[in-house]
Amino acid sequence: MASDTPGRMVTLGADAPDGGGPSPELYRRIEGRLSYPTDLLDIPGLLQGAILRSEYAHARLLRVDASRARDMPGVHAVVTADDVPGLNRFGIVVRDQPVFCEDRVRYEGDAIAAVAVDTRAQARAALAAVEVAYEPLSLVTDPMTAEQQVPLHEGGNLLAQETFHRGDPEQAFAACAVVVEHDYRTPRQMHAFMETEGGIAIPDDAGGVHFRVGCQSGHRDAEQLADILALAPGQVTVEAMATGGAFGGKDELTVQPAAGILALKTGCPVMIHLDRFESCRAGMKRHPVTARMTTGCDADGRLLAHRVEAVLDTGAYASLGPAVLENFLDHASAPLYRIGAYAVSGRLVYTNNGVCGAFRGFGGNQATFAVESQLDALARELGLCPRELRRINLRSVDEPGSRHQPVRWTAPPVQVLRKAQASSLWSPETVPRGRWLTGTGMAMGAQGNGLGDGLPDAGGGRISLSREGRVRVEFGFSDYGQNIGEAITHSVCAVLGCQGSDVEVMLGHSRGPDSGPTSASRSSVLVHGVLAGMLPRWMEAVRCQAAELTGYPGDDLAHGPGGVFHQGRQVLSYRELAEHGRREAMVADARQDFPVAPGQDHPVGRYLQLQIATVARVMVDRLTGRVRVTDLHHITAAGRVIYPPGYLGQIEGAAVMGLGMTLTEDMPAEEGRLRRDNLDQYLIPTFHDAPTQRVDVLDGTPEDDPFPVRGVGELGIEAVAPAITAAIEAATGVRIRTLPVDPGVLLTAIHVRETAS
Amino acid sequence: MQPDVTVQPEVAGRGGVRVLRPESPREAVTMARRFGGTYVAGASWLQPVWERRQSWPSCLVALDPGWPGFRGIDQDEGGLTIGALTTLDELASHPLVHDHLPGLGTLLDQVAGPGVRRLGTVGGNLCAGGDLSALFLALDARLHLVGHHDPKGESLVVWDAADPGVDLIQSVTLPDARPWRIAVDKLGHRERFSPTRATVACVHDGERVRLAVCGEGGPGRLSISEAALNDGHSLSGADRIQILDTELEFRGWQDPTLRLAIQRMVDYLLAEVGHGV
Amino acid sequence: MNDLYRAPEPITFELNGKTVTRSVPAATPLLDLLREDGQCTSVRPGCRIGRCGVCNVLMDGQAMPACLIMAWQLPGRRVETVEGLAGDPDFLKVRQALAEESALQCGYCTPGFALSLVSGLRERRNGNPVDLGEAIAGNLCRCTGYGGLKRAVEKHLSPCPSMSTGAGNSNPIPGEPE
Repeated sequence: MASDTPGRMVTLGADAPDGGGPSPELYRRIEGRLSYPTDLLDIPGLLQGAILRSEYAHARLLRVDASRARDMPGVHAVVTADDVPGLNRFGIVVRDQPVFCEDRVRYEGDAIAAVAVDTRAQARAALAAVEVAYEPLSLVTDPMTAEQQVPLHEGGNLLAQETFHRGDPEQAFAACAVVVEHDYRTPRQMHAFMETEGGIAIPDDAGGVHFRVGCQSGHRDAEQLADILALAPGQVTVEAMATGGAFGGKDELTVQPAAGILALKTGCPVMIHLDRFESCRAGMKRHPVTARMTTGCDADGRLLAHRVEAVLDTGAYASLGPAVLENFLDHASAPLYRIGAYAVSGRLVYTNNGVCGAFRGFGGNQATFAVESQLDALARELGLCPRELRRINLRSVDEPGSRHQPVRWTAPPVQVLRKAQASSLWSPETVPRGRWLTGTGMAMGAQGNGLGDGLPDAGGGRISLSREGRVRVEFGFSDYGQNIGEAITHSVCAVLGCQGSDVEVMLGHSRGPDSGPTSASRSSVLVHGVLAGMLPRWMEAVRCQAAELTGYPGDDLAHGPGGVFHQGRQVLSYRELAEHGRREAMVADARQDFPVAPGQDHPVGRYLQLQIATVARVMVDRLTGRVRVTDLHHITAAGRVIYPPGYLGQIEGAAVMGLGMTLTEDMPAEEGRLRRDNLDQYLIPTFHDAPTQRVDVLDGTPEDDPFPVRGVGELGIEAVAPAITAAIEAATGVRIRTLPVDPGVLLTAIHVRETAS
Repeated sequence: MQPDVTVQPEVAGRGGVRVLRPESPREAVTMARRFGGTYVAGASWLQPVWERRQSWPSCLVALDPGWPGFRGIDQDEGGLTIGALTTLDELASHPLVHDHLPGLGTLLDQVAGPGVRRLGTVGGNLCAGGDLSALFLALDARLHLVGHHDPKGESLVVWDAADPGVDLIQSVTLPDARPWRIAVDKLGHRERFSPTRATVACVHDGERVRLAVCGEGGPGRLSISEAALNDGHSLSGADRIQILDTELEFRGWQDPTLRLAIQRMVDYLLAEVGHGV
Repeated sequence: MNDLYRAPEPITFELNGKTVTRSVPAATPLLDLLREDGQCTSVRPGCRIGRCGVCNVLMDGQAMPACLIMAWQLPGRRVETVEGLAGDPDFLKVRQALAEESALQCGYCTPGFALSLVSGLRERRNGNPVDLGEAIAGNLCRCTGYGGLKRAVEKHLSPCPSMSTGAGNSNPIPGEPE
């Protein structure tokens, strides 16, 4: 565990570790030689699949008649709910979403039918020929009143509610010198991965189906697909290919069920690739949150009481909503800060507003936006510097977490704060001149790794020697750009003393080891643990083989670049070992449960904790209220850095995604229709919207720490929004609590302040 | 050409789209009339509209940048004449444009993206009410339309207010604005490649100030506000703000916060062109 | 003439140095034409309305979105994709800069960025002082937050040779796993 002694601090650059050059994988991607699932267009006999989506956000389905569509040119099959061989439902936690709707549609992306045709151009005509009769039903659009509206599912529109308690908040509020209460809103953000949902289903000769798709868990998808297709588990294989971005949006099944059913029906490989319009309409989004927070402290700034009442709009189906709610509440309980008493509660409701599920941050960043804003509000009331208020309340490494669970930090939170305070972005404010107002603000965030709350959370891996003599490392994780393959390669090389070209990493095959889902920032932690478990055994096995082949004693042999060495000289290359040794003897695997706090029968919350402080500098256009973020400086405390370019890219990428959510990104719903349908309306940051960023890593984990590596895929988004709104407040005096920041609202407030002064 | 062709205005797929290739501008006008065809040059603005609707015109009339006077930039005593099929990219990098309208390059950096600017044309941008509209309206640009014979051309301000119909723009003439002071500013949602919320142009020709806008409320000259600025010597600042606000609202700018932004942009641009100094 | 125009026209253009002829409806986007049968799959659909740069190609040397170029516009034009740039010095320079700075994650958008940068470098060769940041203003990347791209442009592709780190030279292609 990190002590209160200062950690090491490093400013990250993109240089590859050990002075090595960039990996060949990068060149493949730049040269366009990596095939993504939707690039697999040269498969013989490939048919194009397309899905018919509902015209209404909520309606009874009176009739679905595909007979005319079946006669359209190029059509090989049209399938509806009647054609689902097995379970017509999917969902990671709650299987409540139909593959094809039977009698009712609940959002405008609901699937009704699918066609397999020769060409994309024929698909539209074929879909248009499917006759559907609807009887529109009244819409559930307002999450605040959803529970009083017509139920979308049995059991009503309240999908989940939960409250975390600590102490007696009412009593604590009575003792507060200052109490602030504000309402916060966050947008329905879209993942906007560049490769929209897609992939192919290929029937085999034995009645099974092989999927090559963009997804986040081959094993879990294979299980669900076997149920949908009524196949034995072994008959469905899923290859989670390197995909063009996911961020949580490919966690649930997307095109796989329809593609699988069409493949079985036609006996041909079928590709489904949603276009951007369809992806916007049907795809997963981030949960919009409406939260009222009430927070109080004593006259010295010590937090005493905290109350949260939140409503999360999960849309038409559950997906991972209940887990998002849990993580929202976890973060709403202010994991970084000591608060005597709190009541943090949330309700997760069904509406007809699209579907929401997993998205980088997973409810946590929505909560952190509000919590950090509350701290700034208290500081303002007290006339205290916001950094000082935080310093007073930050937990020490010896204290339990906000849910009174044991936690494990990698550096003391107050040190992270101190580094943020020392950021050069605080340097003297320029005098406001002309049209631009400048300001600097900061926020902090904490995030736990793993699925949490003691949920089953294990992962395995395997290491072997390939026929060609390369060290083959297999994990079930999928690669959607987070560089997990590079991180694995570098870890293996560090232990074996070999080169990157000696190692091949194979990811995401449902026939390979099950590592669990690629989510919850869990992969890096598990990779580290699993490698630590299996590498020594594998090295021993290889030395044994080498000893048999060379006659040298196994103990005198060592691993090195390209093979096995004796007294500094290579005696066998891995290729020779693969040719002459028994490859089946040179296999090792390991499995690890995700680390949870020791001695807990029913773990709550998350044990492995990460921190970030983000300092933002902004310019606000006094004329229009438009905000430009010029700089972001992050201080992270998230354990050891295995692969610096990967770590840096994760923080920078997540931060700009958070910047988008703060300034421009929202998918508003009106009458159940999502109002943006492509990238000319849904505006993600461009090169020129991206600020200059700096990432400083603070690490206080000792050499022998059992969990020195943490997953940083989500950390960068945690504190960006409140840092930016704090900077806007510093520039303008106006605090924005609804995201994305509406320039019109900001401008009006600036105008009012100018007029008043 | 067959006179008995039935005109089917829209088709549901690109496969059903006919592309007519007229040999001359006059033939283009005839074809567009006869077949209800839509003129296309870069089609960088039209194609997103069609993709979004999943509906295409059954007939496109392809315009040829090789037709005399349709592409390129020239200057004479009448000012700067820009061929309608000149791409936005060519416009941005042309030395004559740097000379006449030094601020245009910066504005064009904020119009679409570089790839789209290599396809999109000056004529297309004006037809779509794009970012050039505000500046060209404020400069009193004149359009040379195929089949119209006024050598001075048609005023963009007048043409814009009427239904452009099947008019085919050959070129646009801008007066020699080198001695003038010009300021233009675009408000988008993000730094680059953003739909226009409001682009405001302010031109001071030494005597009078001219104002124009385009964006969410559509393109237009703000002639009442101009008159208030140029002639309303008895008006207070508050009066002028009220007049501008009312004129914008009347022109279709419904969002009061956007009108507030435009007002402030106008104030700023007026100072830049030295109005009231 | 009606049916003549409706029927697929044979269209001839140059693709990566080779003359190709295709019979497709006149309004077919170049994007679909290139991806047909998996030929040039580095040209990928991102939005199909020219707003993301993922499907960029070089048309007569300049980067443009292939989804907005229709087949009838192709005759006589020269189209290049990254598949055809293996020996191109500007591409090699761009490739090295992007790789050195890890300017990509998922890589789906990367060929589009690379072509915008190559287009900018070619314009520079023609004496036009192109800002490469502006050259990629129309390319969207959702993974990286553009940090690596900024570094690649500033450190390795700056117009002033003295600022170049030298890493931008066309190094040989590193070893490739088979």
